[in-house]
Amino acid sequence: MEALFSIPFSLLECPNLKLKKPSWVKQPSAMVVFAAVLTSYFLVTGGIIYDVIVEPPSIGSVPDEKGNSKPVAFMPYRVNGQYIMEGLASSFLFTLGGLGFVILDQTNKPLMPKLNRILLICVGGAAVVIAFFTCRVFMKIKLPGYMQA
Amino acid sequence: MADADLVVRNDIRSAMWNPGGWKSLLSFFILALAWLAGFSARLFAVIRFESIIHEFDPWFNYRATHYMVQNGFYNFLNWFDDRAWYPLGRIVGGTVYPGLMVTSGSIHWFLNLLNIPIHIRDICVFLAPVFSGMTSMSVYLFTKEIWSPGAGLFAACFIAIVPGYISRSVAGSYDNEGIAIFALMFTYFLWIKSVKTGQVFWSICTALSYFYMVSAWGGYVFIINLIPLHVFTLLLMGRYSQRIYTAYNCFYIVGLILSMQIPFVGFQPIRTSEHMAAAGVFALLNAYAFLKYIQNFLTKSEFRYFFIAAVTFAAAVVFVAVVGLTWAGYIAPWSGRFYSLWDTGYAKIHIPIIASVSEHQPTTWVSFFFDLHILVCAFPVGAWYCIKNINDERVFVVLYAIFASYFAGVMVRLMLTLTPVVCVLAAVAFSKTFEVYLKDDSPKQNQKSLDENGENKNDRLYDKVGNKKKVREDKPQEEEGLGINVKSIIIVALLMMLMLFAVHCTWVTSSAYSSPSIVLASYGQGGSRTILDDFREAYYWLRQNTDDKARIMSWWDYGYQIAGMGNRTTLVDNNTWNNSHIALVGKAMSSNETAAYEIMRMLDVNYVLVIFGGVIGYSGDDINKFLWMVRIAEGEHPRDIKEVDYFTPQGEFRVDAAGSKTLLNCLMYKLSYYRFGQMQLDFRSPAGFDRTRGVEIGNKNFDLTHVEEAYTTEHWLVRIYKVKDLENRDNLKTPHRPVKKSRRKSKKSSKKIGSIKNKPKVVKGKKSKSSKAGSRSGGRTGTK
Repeated sequence: MEALFSIPFSLLECPNLKLKKPSWVKQPSAMVVFAAVLTSYFLVTGGIIYDVIVEPPSIGSVPDEKGNSKPVAFMPYRVNGQYIMEGLASSFLFTLGGLGFVILDQTNKPLMPKLNRILLICVGGAAVVIAFFTCRVFMKIKLPGYMQA
Repeated sequence: MADADLVVRNDIRSAMWNPGGWKSLLSFFILALAWLAGFSARLFAVIRFESIIHEFDPWFNYRATHYMVQNGFYNFLNWFDDRAWYPLGRIVGGTVYPGLMVTSGSIHWFLNLLNIPIHIRDICVFLAPVFSGMTSMSVYLFTKEIWSPGAGLFAACFIAIVPGYISRSVAGSYDNEGIAIFALMFTYFLWIKSVKTGQVFWSICTALSYFYMVSAWGGYVFIINLIPLHVFTLLLMGRYSQRIYTAYNCFYIVGLILSMQIPFVGFQPIRTSEHMAAAGVFALLNAYAFLKYIQNFLTKSEFRYFFIAAVTFAAAVVFVAVVGLTWAGYIAPWSGRFYSLWDTGYAKIHIPIIASVSEHQPTTWVSFFFDLHILVCAFPVGAWYCIKNINDERVFVVLYAIFASYFAGVMVRLMLTLTPVVCVLAAVAFSKTFEVYLKDDSPKQNQKSLDENGENKNDRLYDKVGNKKKVREDKPQEEEGLGINVKSIIIVALLMMLMLFAVHCTWVTSSAYSSPSIVLASYGQGGSRTILDDFREAYYWLRQNTDDKARIMSWWDYGYQIAGMGNRTTLVDNNTWNNSHIALVGKAMSSNETAAYEIMRMLDVNYVLVIFGGVIGYSGDDINKFLWMVRIAEGEHPRDIKEVDYFTPQGEFRVDAAGSKTLLNCLMYKLSYYRFGQMQLDFRSPAGFDRTRGVEIGNKNFDLTHVEEAYTTEHWLVRIYKVKDLENRDNLKTPHRPVKKSRRKSKKSSKKIGSIKNKPKVVKGKKSKSSKAGSRSGGRTGTK
């Protein structure tokens, strides 16, 4: 095996160079991976791909009774259509709800003062609850018949 | 005797107090209830309407299953369907994933073996709900492998009712996805199992399950790319082990050979780019294992250089080989559908027929929330837990999550592959949170709860057992002191959300996903319900009143339904394999009548069928789909059809008087609005008011020269026209026409009937107008 391995080196001389892995190439830490995942998740659930393909306006407008155009944030009655801002707003809420769960998990660390813990629990719980109910409100704006009958 | 009795009673008592026994009993009941709930939630359509096959593709699957049950499996594989894609025909056995038909066929066979007579249609209708229960079992197993049994129970309950999966598996939607999601999750479960154990047994099971998946759905490509990706990532992370080597090699070799047994797949696994990642990883893994072996003989410093050189070399060889073979034509490049997943604008520009399907549209935020609800928030949290406590199998889940969510963003229909992993990760998140917040801070008093505490904490997650326990032990809370109140508020809030999730799922299922779309229902003011059964009326008319060999031209959406319910030959259908044929039909629809007549003569068309929703305000009709016909036709015939001709100068698509002249005179417009200009729907609107588009139509009074109206359903939803024969030549004194076969069963009022029956020489003028109106006024209301 040794002989086999040295065959090419009888012809070639090993160049004397030091190839190092650049210092920034290393296995990313869990937090970095999670941050990347969460960011991409934020964008995908916000319908960024829809925005790229369909190119909707960022905010729509409807004329009101006086003829002035009035901005509307949501494209109503359409499940498969959206404006850019409404997508980002709701995916922000999705992410907020997710972070709420993470915060709830963080309160479980053993070395944490009681006040901090209670505050964190409140923040996390509030994030989850607010995100959830705001999403429902958005849904009702979007589909006015949502959860009726 | 008494002793024995006592022993038995002691046994029972010890069994009663054995936490393991309770645990499995509870798991069993929860899973059974999840199955039951999932099954019942999918029955809305059957209860509201009837046991009927839904939508479009299921009709073909049903027809094929019916054929297979009647003629046997081998005849099914050799079936040449001459009633589709006239005049080309379709080799059904070679162009279909037979898993679905074989599954329901074997259920039918088995039940008949037990002397339970059941019609194959009922099996087809109820197949998807039954399989949804099996899906929740496999999701339970999967989650149990990657996290814990408690999370598994959560996941099983989630997948049983989550709308993203229900949308494809309600009773009557007899489609490949219904069984494929089960196969998908079961394959992943077996794969995780084989990675964990490294046993050949489990990897062979994975390959077998993969075979079932290949036979059931084209989405198997997702498996054959995700598993190699998992292996590759594990290699990159330095997590190579003997187990992975065994698992992947067995799976790949056996799975490859098995997948090539499906006629439709054939040699694709070694010939197309979609499968090349798996082959490349196979080569790489073996090269890596070889190097590991070499390592035994080399010193450390030697090995380092050798290793880097060899790995680079191996990767380069694999890459060059794939590129070279692709370039030389041995490997087909990515097909359009897959290519459009990466280059999202591709389909829009190059393949309008893919972009035209509504389920291939990109996803908006509403779909995410609508289909997943609270799980969409909990999903990243589960990913967070998995990333934080990483091991071999959680790498897989994270990869699955990332790719599936990206694909779901590109196409609405791929929400289906995202849904299981969302359920799994959300279950992990909920399970972990409940575990934290239901756990008592206080030390345990008695040893019984101590030993329970080790394994059994997950059992308290899903019902009030945990709550009660906590309440019972809330006295000694001083030392941690983190008020039980705060924790229980969180718990109650989470439980509330889960309850609202269940309510949401039921609401979505009942209102959005349970419409058969063959039968429409409209609701009046007081909740009264009107059934619009126009589709079946029209298809039944076709079945009864046209010649057996009659050719029906319609847009491709309705091809399967015409074949399935009307049993007539169609030109194009939902198996959109021949773009130019579809473009020809699209061209006929978008040309003016004379040009269309030439195409229809060329294609040997007898009847034209259009869907028109203007009377009842049905939005999915042909006029609304019309721009896609124009686009597809323009793709193939850019000189004859131009999309801009169908818009107003302002770039609007409108059918009222301001619409473009080309549009107002094309065949589709005329067929849809023929005689509609004389019809006044109510007193507030003018005659010819189109309810779907909310305008008065622009071209009201016109006659049809080359086609004549044959049938219009009750609510004008389906309109059928007969294509006239070529006109007689006037100066011919003694008409001597060969008797044509297709005339025999055609409508009584056609002019040819007159020429045989009555010997008096009928001057073949355009008599048809009066005779047509007389013959079938029965099925129509309010035309005067």
